[in-house]
Amino acid sequence: MNQETEDSTRQTGRVIDFLEVKQLFEDNEERLRLTLLAGGDGLARQIEVKHIHRPGLALAGYIDLFTFERVQVLGNTEINFLRGLSDEQRAASIGRVMEFAIPCLVITNGNDPPAELVEQANARGIPVFGSLHSTTDFTHLLGDYLDDQFAPTTTVHGSLVDVYGTGMLFTGRSGIGKSEIALDLVERGHRLVTDDIIRIDKKAEGVLIGTSPELTRHIMEVRGVGLIDVRRMFGVRGIRVQKRIEVEVHLEEWDDSFEWERIGLDYESTSYLGVDVPLLRLPIFPGKNISMIAEVIALQIHLRVYGLNPAEEMQRRMSEEMNRRKVRNYLIRDYE
Amino acid sequence: MKSQVVTLRNKLGLHARPASHFVKIAGRYRDTKVSIVRDGEVINGKSILGVMMLAAGQGASLEIRCDGPDEETCLAELVELVNNKFYEE
Repeated sequence: MNQETEDSTRQTGRVIDFLEVKQLFEDNEERLRLTLLAGGDGLARQIEVKHIHRPGLALAGYIDLFTFERVQVLGNTEINFLRGLSDEQRAASIGRVMEFAIPCLVITNGNDPPAELVEQANARGIPVFGSLHSTTDFTHLLGDYLDDQFAPTTTVHGSLVDVYGTGMLFTGRSGIGKSEIALDLVERGHRLVTDDIIRIDKKAEGVLIGTSPELTRHIMEVRGVGLIDVRRMFGVRGIRVQKRIEVEVHLEEWDDSFEWERIGLDYESTSYLGVDVPLLRLPIFPGKNISMIAEVIALQIHLRVYGLNPAEEMQRRMSEEMNRRKVRNYLIRDYE
Repeated sequence: MKSQVVTLRNKLGLHARPASHFVKIAGRYRDTKVSIVRDGEVINGKSILGVMMLAAGQGASLEIRCDGPDEETCLAELVELVNNKFYEE
């Protein structure tokens, strides 16, 4: 059951189209231990995919399926292969690869670039970097960064709170009391991630991470009071920077026709960036302690993670009981 | 007070989902009292745990009682739900 939460303002997912090589270099110079070795004219080249490629086969001559659009990493294997070639062969081999519109090359393990590579990189304006990391470490670190940069992103209106370790997203129309509930939860010792605007990144398959835009981080509007600084007011233990989103609680106006979930065998679900999130609808009315129910929801979600579902347990008990009665009734009528 | 005896014809009887269906409909009639009687036991027809406690399987006979301003329509709707096998099969 997929249902749009109608009054949460939601943008469709966005994916960045490209990343400039210059940006990659500036963001990672220290972390990836990078130095620019050649081809500085090409720093404006664009990386359009998050994958990494080792062009061993292309250097050896097989270029049919060469994924040239990726960042190319030359490890010990590639460099040793090139070293073993004659000067002419080496120039030809490198030329074969450099003919393609590759965004940039990285030579790992602090290896020196072959002179032919430097020459061609400068001529064609393809940046070549050196890294002191081993190839394995380097591809992990770069993969991480590229994953992050190319992660699909969306923005949602609501509050995100870590309740007993469960990332709980509160949505509902403006003024229904999302901030007040978040505040009440912080008072009870839970941790605010963000109020009002939530940036959602899809990290791994099926994992949504919510953060706040830096500008509004841990600042909250309380109607009737104005802006408050949650970090200053409640201290560092009342906040956190990001949290996986594990359940959405949609706050609604209560009326007589509202139909409550009564057993919780299966919850409704909503979806962000193609990832399903269980959705619970809670009506608000005076005397209803939403914070307390939010805590119960968090613990219920926890138990489900551990495979404990009281509705299923109840079903099992009922089946047992029905069977027991069936057998008993059969035996009662057995006048043999 | 209106009442009617029904027999559960659906395969699972008054299992979790059918029970939740039943209490949801009963709950819509706020001013009408709904009870289910089985083997002399009377339970509140708006209580999910009560209805589940009956553990009424296929073939079981239940008496549905409705008492209040909407007793007639309420009873009719609940009987229809049971006779239509809770719209689940």
